[in-house]
Amino acid sequence: MPMRPSMGEELRMELAIRTEHLTKIYSQRLIAVNDMNLEVPQGSVFGLLGPNGAGKTTTLRLLLGLQRPTAGHAEVFGKSCGPNAVGVRSQIGYLPTNPKLPGNLRPIEYLDLLGKLSRLPRQVRKPRISALLRAVGLLTATEQRIQTFSTGMCTRLGLAASLVADPPLLLWDEPTAGLDPTARRFTLDLIRELGKTKTVVVATHILSDIDQICDHIGVMHEGRMIFTGSMQDMKRRLRRSDFRLELEGDAEDIRRLAHEVTSLKGIDAHLGAGQILLVRITDDRSRSRALAEVLKLVDASNLSLQAINSGQNVTENAYLQLLQEDEAHGFQR
Amino acid sequence: MDSSAKISKLGTRMMPYLAILRYDLRTLWASRLVRLWLAATALLTLMLALANWTKFQDAVLIASLLFPYLVFPWFFVVVVLGVNPVSGSQAEALADGILSRPVSRCGYLLAAWSARVLLVWGVYLVVVIPVIALVTLAKRPVPEDAVTVYGIVTALGVVGLVLTFLVSLGFLMGTLLRKPLLAVVVLIFVWYPISLILSIFSLEEFSPISLVQALPTQLRQSWREVEGKSETNVAKEDMNTFTNQFSHFFSVLSGTKPKPKASNPEFFESKKFEDFSLGWVTLGYGLPTLVAVILATLCFYWRDL
Repeated sequence: MPMRPSMGEELRMELAIRTEHLTKIYSQRLIAVNDMNLEVPQGSVFGLLGPNGAGKTTTLRLLLGLQRPTAGHAEVFGKSCGPNAVGVRSQIGYLPTNPKLPGNLRPIEYLDLLGKLSRLPRQVRKPRISALLRAVGLLTATEQRIQTFSTGMCTRLGLAASLVADPPLLLWDEPTAGLDPTARRFTLDLIRELGKTKTVVVATHILSDIDQICDHIGVMHEGRMIFTGSMQDMKRRLRRSDFRLELEGDAEDIRRLAHEVTSLKGIDAHLGAGQILLVRITDDRSRSRALAEVLKLVDASNLSLQAINSGQNVTENAYLQLLQEDEAHGFQR
Repeated sequence: MDSSAKISKLGTRMMPYLAILRYDLRTLWASRLVRLWLAATALLTLMLALANWTKFQDAVLIASLLFPYLVFPWFFVVVVLGVNPVSGSQAEALADGILSRPVSRCGYLLAAWSARVLLVWGVYLVVVIPVIALVTLAKRPVPEDAVTVYGIVTALGVVGLVLTFLVSLGFLMGTLLRKPLLAVVVLIFVWYPISLILSIFSLEEFSPISLVQALPTQLRQSWREVEGKSETNVAKEDMNTFTNQFSHFFSVLSGTKPKPKASNPEFFESKKFEDFSLGWVTLGYGLPTLVAVILATLCFYWRDL
């Protein structure tokens, strides 16, 4: 009788990526990845976020087996990663930052070579190559050698290259780097589309990209994973206590309103550029009630409210807050 | 399982290896170094053949054509070709393009090594074989010589084996040292005094110069002779010819007259090798080649890309 997998095993099988105490130290000097525990659920679009030098690329290269961990280990779909883990790499489509492509080849030749490396038979390889070239908008450039390609074209070819073997996991490192707005929009749409059927890990430091496409997020800082969870969890971390009121009316009335708002208990206000009033709820009181009191004062004044929003980009705030917390707790680390 | 299914399974397994091999061969062929080498080696071989057309018998002339591959200058090109696949900026492109795919490092290294060996053998044979055919078939104003097909094949094989060893040595150094220029410099310093190094270990028989000296004897050997042979029997004139051959080679290159003979030839002759054992030479170069490839593979396996 076949044995049923245990609960732990089932959970493990649902993970696309799992790392345990993954550590990479270069030449006994530079800690690139520091004791990282990461779990990426299957079918998620996972944003690996962090400033430059946080260890994002090293993490991806460890998963691919291009580098060997100093300690700990990594698994992809339950299989151990390593230099000879061919089975692991057959499940991964990798897009490096500004991919270095063989300039002497043409796009079809390059994709054909990659198809052969993935052991795809000709009858699968050829139609897929033409479909991919059409999808990334390079059909008109098939006669050109890759060395004549612009950065954007190289990235698009890199995207196609990562999809040749139709792998269930995509590791894309800075996929929007060096792209113009149209190409960037195309790439983000593609990720969203691919996320319906595949697990996608996007390493980037561009917060707006993460905000638009990811449902899970991991924040890295100085080689450490300082947060992992859903985007909702990430946004929840931030107490949105800043509000920005865009007003229309006399400047003297706005100044008076600021004074009145500051006199309310637990609310601080000051003037921003133009006709903007920045309101901060300073203590633990209910934010909705506090905001209602502010709006009542606006209503009573000679001013009209044009717009109200909660300060900066939420994800950006949460991210910066995480980095600040990590810096502050440096000693405890 | 029927044979066609077996072949198709083997074809699928070999697909990455063959793809890398073809890609590497194509890239190598597109390089200026290889094209220049092919042109230069063809030119030099023709020059040597024409300069010695009326001077040397077949065996000596053929051996003189093989001299540039064993001693100077083509070993340098062969070493450079061996050094570059996993070193320098090549490594990054390699990691991004090939090793992030379902290819094992060992598989990649073997394919890259095979491509270089095939290319070196290809250039060498494409140039040498037609000239040897010309030398052996043409009526030249020199005494008849008993060069055999077996002798030609084994002599070409021995030179090819040395070239394979050089590619493998370049491969190992390129993997170990990572910087192509440093690897080439180290190899030049290793290969030039190789005769001296081998003589320290009483292995002069394997030095490239000893091999060149012994090639005429090998070229005249037949398959049957090898089977029944117990002692070597070399014409002394060949050795005398070879005493002057190296200076003659350089005089052809430089266009100057050859230097006069040494006044005391016995002193030099005491260390000349008139013959070599094919088995020993095959083992002597084959084993280090194998060791170099295995070490390069191990070194590459442990390396971060």
